[in-house]
Amino acid sequence: MRIVVVTSEVPFIRGSAEILAENLCQALSAAGHAAELISIPFQQDPPNRIPDQMLACRLMDLSEACGVRIDRAIGLRFPAYLAPHPHKVIWLLHQHRAAYELWDNPLAGDLIHHPYGPVIREAIRQADRELMPEAKAVYTISKNVAGRLRRFCGIAGEPLYHPPPHASQFHKGSAGDYFFFPSPVTGLKRQLLVIEALAKCREKISVRFAGKSDNPRERAACLEAARRLNVEHLVEWLDWISEEQKRELYANCLGVLFPPMDEDYGYVTLEAMLSSKPVITCADSGGPLEFVVDRQTGLVADSVPEPLARAMDAVWADRRCAAAMGEAGRARYADLKISWENVVERLLC
Amino acid sequence: MRIPFVRGGAEVLAEGLRRVLTGLGHQAEIVAIPFKPYPPERILDQMLACRLLDLSETAGTPVDRVIALKFPAYLIPHGHKVIWMIHQHRQAYDLWQHPLNDLHTYANGGDVRAAIHAADTKLLPQSRGLFTISRNVAVRLKTYCGLHAIPLYHPPQDAGRFYTRPAEDFLYFPSRIDPLKRQDLVLEALALTRSAVRICFSGPAEEPDFERKCARLARKDGLRNRVQWLGAVPEEEKRDLYARSLGVLFPPLDEDYGYITLEAMLARKPVITCTDSGGPLEFVMHHQTGMVVEPIPEALAVAMDSLWDDRERARQWGEAARQRYDDLRIDWDNVVEKLLP
Repeated sequence: MRIVVVTSEVPFIRGSAEILAENLCQALSAAGHAAELISIPFQQDPPNRIPDQMLACRLMDLSEACGVRIDRAIGLRFPAYLAPHPHKVIWLLHQHRAAYELWDNPLAGDLIHHPYGPVIREAIRQADRELMPEAKAVYTISKNVAGRLRRFCGIAGEPLYHPPPHASQFHKGSAGDYFFFPSPVTGLKRQLLVIEALAKCREKISVRFAGKSDNPRERAACLEAARRLNVEHLVEWLDWISEEQKRELYANCLGVLFPPMDEDYGYVTLEAMLSSKPVITCADSGGPLEFVVDRQTGLVADSVPEPLARAMDAVWADRRCAAAMGEAGRARYADLKISWENVVERLLC
Repeated sequence: MRIPFVRGGAEVLAEGLRRVLTGLGHQAEIVAIPFKPYPPERILDQMLACRLLDLSETAGTPVDRVIALKFPAYLIPHGHKVIWMIHQHRQAYDLWQHPLNDLHTYANGGDVRAAIHAADTKLLPQSRGLFTISRNVAVRLKTYCGLHAIPLYHPPQDAGRFYTRPAEDFLYFPSRIDPLKRQDLVLEALALTRSAVRICFSGPAEEPDFERKCARLARKDGLRNRVQWLGAVPEEEKRDLYARSLGVLFPPLDEDYGYITLEAMLARKPVITCTDSGGPLEFVMHHQTGMVVEPIPEALAVAMDSLWDDRERARQWGEAARQRYDDLRIDWDNVVEKLLP
């Protein structure tokens, strides 16, 4: 089949959504299809330009190319998934979150501050409610994303898990003396929460953070907090690391910290499981909760410093238990049968 | 702008430009908007879609420059946009009412054409600079829109990898098998040659009707064993075919630019082209680096015979073609210097 994968992009920004789109195209090609990625530039600031760009996507015509039918369109991201196609399937990465669950979130809500914020929010919600059902099927990348879609739009989406990039290359090394927290440094990933928890830990725990910061101010705030709370000597900032370095850091850590706020899916959880490491996450972390089984493959704590500190202490103090939870995480990954072959089969059925 | 599943010269150019900009220390990214030019009213939708997109910033950081290449993507607004035009929507201009195109056959074709003219004429001058990939494209822009643009030549992909070898017994015609490239004209000419001229065609076929027409022409009496179809060939094989050919055939209809002329020159081969071929005429000098003939089978046949019969002259023209390429200083540094003053 000739298939277009339709997504939106912020030029010059390459994140997990871009990697997912490329990997999906590769998986479609590997299954014998002609797959092509169409990526529409999307700028969400100023918010009053958002409806223009929604309209732009509605005006695209992906039904044919040079007189030959395009058999399927797979829509991934807002507003590109609004582009019409007679046989469209949506595999929803996420909706425009600032119009939904992040609307009044002080860490990420920008739309709420705009004079036309409520009107734009309604336009986005209405477009999603009325146009997403045009698709022949709606899948989501996680239960979390499906739950939001049902809650806010009353649309049923079926979760369809996919493996993180280079899944087969993760491995288990020895259990070292550090927790690993790989993520871009942003408010939503809550590095700051981990630093505050660290100040309340009884064990002498050290944490290695790895990941770029899109906004230098957020990184500076974390450094400042570490100084103020006197845990500076316990944290290490690795900034940008290669994929190989990342896998080594997973392989040789004692456990992985991943306490984001309402994550859509979260490769970090899966990468930790593939590396046979326990994951410490939070009760409001979203995606990770679909994979971490509390006290079996990791720990789920409330997202305030004290309980998170207790969870970190517990894993740190009982290394045998940490190793056992890591092994259970690896077994759980295998049980879930997460594969691109499965994703492709479901998207095209 | 991009047509999904089609990869041609425009895609190669965009990638080449991105590579060069990155090499010079800029951050460069390609934004490709899908385009489907039929039925005609859909063109208007997609022009509007481009006007509605916003490339001024990404994640709070300004985008310093936009270099726009093709219709309708070059209509996307930006405060520091430079246009380096590959071509306009030719069906609304030089190919209007052309038998190979159909915009004029639709009831609303004239209205859509007028809308395209209006958008180009009004919006192209809003850019900070207006360049074209060839003089041919600049002349069309002047003729139809009254706009002045500066031609800016760029080298074909892997220009440094072309080489030459002694001529063997074939003329080479590398091109997509397409009515605008006129393989049919060349086959009709071949039937009229006096010598046993042989032609090697390479290039993908995307138009089944035209492919059948060419195959039928090639089955004519006397043409057996004189025509070879190689289909799409890898770049390396293409360079080898250039190197071993006696000369290159490139008689398209009003080509915008045409890498083939330049590739032949790099491989030190003479080029046979036609008086209405457009881009190649900016490079091929009649009886110095090749031949420029009327686009009729008889004239092409005479040119092919004369190249076939005088090998030494063909070799000399090929050498002169390479000299001309070097004299023209076709390089990416020059392009970038002009696009980003």
